Amino acid sequence: MNFLIALMVIVPILCALFLNLLHKKDRTIKVVTVLLALTLPALPLLANYGLHYFGGYVPLVENPTLANNLPPLITDTALNTFHPAITYSFQSAQQLFVFIFGLVALLAIFVSVFETRRPSGVYAYMMFMGVAAVTAVILTDDIFNLYVFFEIAALATVGIVLVSNVKGNYETALKYMIIGSIVAPLLLLGIALLLGVTGNVNITDIIYSIKNGLVDPQNPVILMACALIVFGWLYGSGLPPFHTIKSAIYSKALPSGAALMQAFSVFIFVAMGIIILRIFSYLPFSQWVILGVSLMAMILGITMAILQTDLKRMIGFLAVGELGYIGIGLGLSTAYGITAGLFQAVNEAMITAILFLGFGVVLYQTGISDTRKLGGMMVKTPLVAFLVLLGGFAMAGVPLLNAFQSKLMLIQGSIKAGLPELGVIMILLSIVTFMTFMKAFHAVYLRPMPDELVIKHEKIPKATIIAMLVLLGVCLIFGLFPQVATSYLQPLATSLAGGIL
Amino acid sequence: MIIDVQLASLFTAVALVVIGIFAAVFLDNLIKKVIGLAFIGDGVNLFLISMGYKAGGIVYIQLPGMAADWFAQNSAYPLPFALVLTSIVIGASTMAVMLGIIIVLYKKRGSISASKILGE
Repeated sequence: MNFLIALMVIVPILCALFLNLLHKKDRTIKVVTVLLALTLPALPLLANYGLHYFGGYVPLVENPTLANNLPPLITDTALNTFHPAITYSFQSAQQLFVFIFGLVALLAIFVSVFETRRPSGVYAYMMFMGVAAVTAVILTDDIFNLYVFFEIAALATVGIVLVSNVKGNYETALKYMIIGSIVAPLLLLGIALLLGVTGNVNITDIIYSIKNGLVDPQNPVILMACALIVFGWLYGSGLPPFHTIKSAIYSKALPSGAALMQAFSVFIFVAMGIIILRIFSYLPFSQWVILGVSLMAMILGITMAILQTDLKRMIGFLAVGELGYIGIGLGLSTAYGITAGLFQAVNEAMITAILFLGFGVVLYQTGISDTRKLGGMMVKTPLVAFLVLLGGFAMAGVPLLNAFQSKLMLIQGSIKAGLPELGVIMILLSIVTFMTFMKAFHAVYLRPMPDELVIKHEKIPKATIIAMLVLLGVCLIFGLFPQVATSYLQPLATSLAGGIL
Repeated sequence: MIIDVQLASLFTAVALVVIGIFAAVFLDNLIKKVIGLAFIGDGVNLFLISMGYKAGGIVYIQLPGMAADWFAQNSAYPLPFALVLTSIVIGASTMAVMLGIIIVLYKKRGSISASKILGE
């Protein structure tokens, strides 16, 4: 039993509750929040790989003492191998996901604490709760547990927006909740249908039931469940048709909150995508559904980003487009393609955080996020401009940086899978991403400063620069030595492609 | 005519979900929208409960003297009931947050019309 696996979820929840109690004790919150946030990337490094059964209830096959007292109706059937407890699975891929997510969360929390004069305990509470929820979504092998934390992540997202005090945040948060309150019960309905057919909510057991003929794999109820779970997946990660509300949510949060929320979306996308692949990969159309949705996300996200004049919305749409790349990798359903997709997810979480934090400095200094009213910021913040430029290069897939490696792998993967058309589309959209980013970069940093633009804060928050440098450092390491990340992801990708999970 | 309890529950669940989606999408009053959203959640919860129903079954508490074999064959399936409890808690939390936001928006705008508040 490895208790550190459970602690990856329990610790952020306890941190959140504790910080909420410290509300209005500004100095204490500052120190305690950063100290507690350090545990987020540290725990996955300390934990051993394996499974954690909550309550210690292992499958009967692993507990002969208990099994001896039970009737053959249970011990001689598949019930003997089923998981009676909520199970968390922690392997190398989960370790990398939770570590990178913890790092992004640590830096977002670090920035949020130091960019505001009076840090809010409630804001820290929301951030930690969201981190706990998404970590649970990454680790869980129980589909109902996934639903519970999916909902907590949505509530934490709304909480971050509400506490952000940005104009129009309440309206956007309510819209997001109304849509979520329609989609989430439908996701639960999908889970209920799977439960009805297989009698299980443990994902490994559901797969066992389907693959071993305990249920009819072509049962239309399973197809319906698949459709409903995919619908929930689209909402949770902000894929079309939910891309506009997702980018609106990012635009109504503080930059640190938006940096963290996009990481929520990326890792929910990956975790649910993996679950969909694990359960439904035997359906002949599942690959095409994932590819179709991802292609749509890429095209809609990136083309809508061109039209935006609000910096945060533009990054939000670019983030949606980048999710499409991850989905293409998963949809290719080959070990190489899936590794590339998962690698792209890790890169995307860091790069989008850099852009949100970098453009957040502009927002901090001017209070404006409309590119039409900005300009000449290169003179005021040359270092931040340089770091943002590197972030943009990374997103577009410029060599030496991490997304170059993952996008190259994706293109190679699509060619190997016999779908070179996808490779061509990905190259074209990378060029459009680069153009979109450079258009915004020119508007904010390179063109002359408008006369009416007032700089409210001359001082640049050092915490933001430190956070960006750390993230860019990891991007550079992954760009130069991609095997550092891919070696963690390959075992999971190979299992998914081979259908042995 | 005796109606099958499980089937009746499933039909009611479907009706609740359909009415809920209609209210959430087409009604303008935000409070009515929230009531509609509650209907959707309740419908799904009822669906889950009805799956755990076993005609002629017993409550899933093994009393002293009950043979394990007989109990395993005759008790209702407890998992859906446990899931519904959690789902109700999540639904209540979500609704509380939504109603809280609506109260704030009403104080700011003096209206609970979705087209006035969200339509902009």
